[in-house]
Amino acid sequence: MTTTFDPASLPSLEQQTKTRPWRQRTTKFDVSVAIAVAVPMMIVIGMFLFSDIPGALVLVIYLPLQMFASGCAAVATKGKRGILDSVIIVNAVGASIFTFVIIFSVLWSLVSKGLKALSIPFLTQNSTYISPSTPLEYGGMAHAALGTLIVVAISALIAVPIGIATAIYITEVRGKAVPYVRFFVQSMSGVPSVVAGLFILTTLILTGAINTSAFAGGLAYAVLMLPTVARTAEEVLRLVPDDLRTGALALGSTRARTVLQVVLPAAKTGIVTAIILGIARVIGETAPLLMTSGKNDATVANPFSDPISTLPVSIFENVAQPYPDAVTRAWGAALILMVLVAILFTVARLLGRNKIK
Amino acid sequence: MANVDLEQRDLQAAATSHRGDRVFNRAITAAAFVSLIVLAGIAIFLGAQAVPVFQQLGFGFVTSTAWDLNSDPISVGIFGMLYGSVLLAIVGLVIAVPASLLLSIFIVFIAPKKLASILTNSVDLMAAIPSVILGLWAFYILNPQAAEWQSLLHDYLGWIPFFQNESGNFLGTPFIAGFILAIMIIPITTSVTREVLGRTPPELINAAESLGCSLWTMLRYVALPYGRGGIVGGIMLGLGRALGETIAVFFVLKLVYDTNWYHVIESGGGSVATLIVSRFGEASGPFEVQLLLAAGFFLFLMTLGVNMLANLIVSRTGRLKK
Repeated sequence: MTTTFDPASLPSLEQQTKTRPWRQRTTKFDVSVAIAVAVPMMIVIGMFLFSDIPGALVLVIYLPLQMFASGCAAVATKGKRGILDSVIIVNAVGASIFTFVIIFSVLWSLVSKGLKALSIPFLTQNSTYISPSTPLEYGGMAHAALGTLIVVAISALIAVPIGIATAIYITEVRGKAVPYVRFFVQSMSGVPSVVAGLFILTTLILTGAINTSAFAGGLAYAVLMLPTVARTAEEVLRLVPDDLRTGALALGSTRARTVLQVVLPAAKTGIVTAIILGIARVIGETAPLLMTSGKNDATVANPFSDPISTLPVSIFENVAQPYPDAVTRAWGAALILMVLVAILFTVARLLGRNKIK
Repeated sequence: MANVDLEQRDLQAAATSHRGDRVFNRAITAAAFVSLIVLAGIAIFLGAQAVPVFQQLGFGFVTSTAWDLNSDPISVGIFGMLYGSVLLAIVGLVIAVPASLLLSIFIVFIAPKKLASILTNSVDLMAAIPSVILGLWAFYILNPQAAEWQSLLHDYLGWIPFFQNESGNFLGTPFIAGFILAIMIIPITTSVTREVLGRTPPELINAAESLGCSLWTMLRYVALPYGRGGIVGGIMLGLGRALGETIAVFFVLKLVYDTNWYHVIESGGGSVATLIVSRFGEASGPFEVQLLLAAGFFLFLMTLGVNMLANLIVSRTGRLKK
């Protein structure tokens, strides 16, 4: 009887690579890991509860203790060569926990302290006649929130068209200078925010061309926003299939029409994502606004005439004041700012998800 | 890639044949050079402010350390600030580089898929927190904690020169400022490193593991060498961010016009960006503003240099892979 080799009876190559027999875990391994996690944890909890070693020091002791325990488990299951693996895994888990703790701490303190400031007047009034010692019932951040929106809108009006045009140059026009343009955009994304503020200050404000105003702040923000919009839009335009371009050209469309009526509409959601990420990049920047848009306790709607308060500058003004109510105002303004950022990022995420489908 | 060449030629032929297209091309090309114009503008206008400062103070402006406009002749120098920026960035990198390497190794090679995506999102969220909010948090929440850690460092490791503290004041130290910088560097470096490590070909990883490599040997001989350029570039991008950070450092660092060489847990340090913000509000006149603009010029040169180098390294490794 002859046996014939039937390739169809074998699992497909993809399944084969997914099984990875050398990664299968034994019960012995699982038990050792469980013991290696539980024992140091119990020792540390015991030290925390029943000894007078300071809490911070107990945490410092915990890490080497856990590494030692995991090392023992590694030797028991995989021999000496498992020791370094266990050290890496313990520290990697530690780094992840560190990240979670930091994020949780920032968000929790924002919510718990910021909510104390939130009230109807806080969201609807400005700060005229308000000093740092005024109780919380009076005055609010409405003028600063409006200021932030005005400054961000101006910067978006300037930076978004230029940023998208830069991306079109790189992906559609494909001129000779593409590598240089990309390099300059990348270098520009590293310009410190304080330098962007100084640039607008020295070129336009100190020369008397424009006032300290929302417009000046918008220009400084635009310097920071442009590279983010350009880089994200470039990546999005790259995802548009070349078939669409060649198809449009083959039908007799001109270059400009191909870009404006075929490529850009095809990448619409991605372009919106690029705009949102650009706004989110700048919305919390403080240093450039201190130099370009200043502060103003009254509500200002004219973007060219007067200094204008913004949320980051209001936080800056209220931090480190000796009056608890002023500090609570800073937390409240920070909470409003963080909510704005969170909304922007959530919308960007949702749009991005649609794009992939 | 012959296909692309053909298409590019077609596109170029189409571009020159139509008048509307020529206008469109010119407008787009002009907009594409705005970034170059802005960079050149920053260099020229801030540089122009630095020239008279140099004429008056000579190289002492960058080699000495003082900020006294009332003495005669005035003594002003930003060496301590330039050095302070670098010291803070180093402290930040010492914390952030191992953390982001471990984080990206965990995300790419160790964590189950669900946890990995939660972690990725958390790191992105960390990048989204505005620096002014991090500064606020650091001033009120981190400061007391960090003071406790530092006094422990001083008590148990005080014999190491870095951990000496004579004043007994553990607030406003380069350590706290560096810690805040680390929180800002970690998302940048992690996202680059994660991407690079994630691109290691699975065939290589599977081959190494089936030959009996442990996780460490696989990392040491396959994944890390493969992504080396990208990892270095990611670290440099983080460094560029750290050198330019202003507001968060302003909240937690006690600015002193002396050079704090290496006492990272001693109160007081320097940073160019923070100097600019803190002196700008109370500048005594146009000359002091000019001094700050000149300081900004050097900050710009420093960050631009680091960033250009970082981008060159990252793009070069990208090219090698194709």
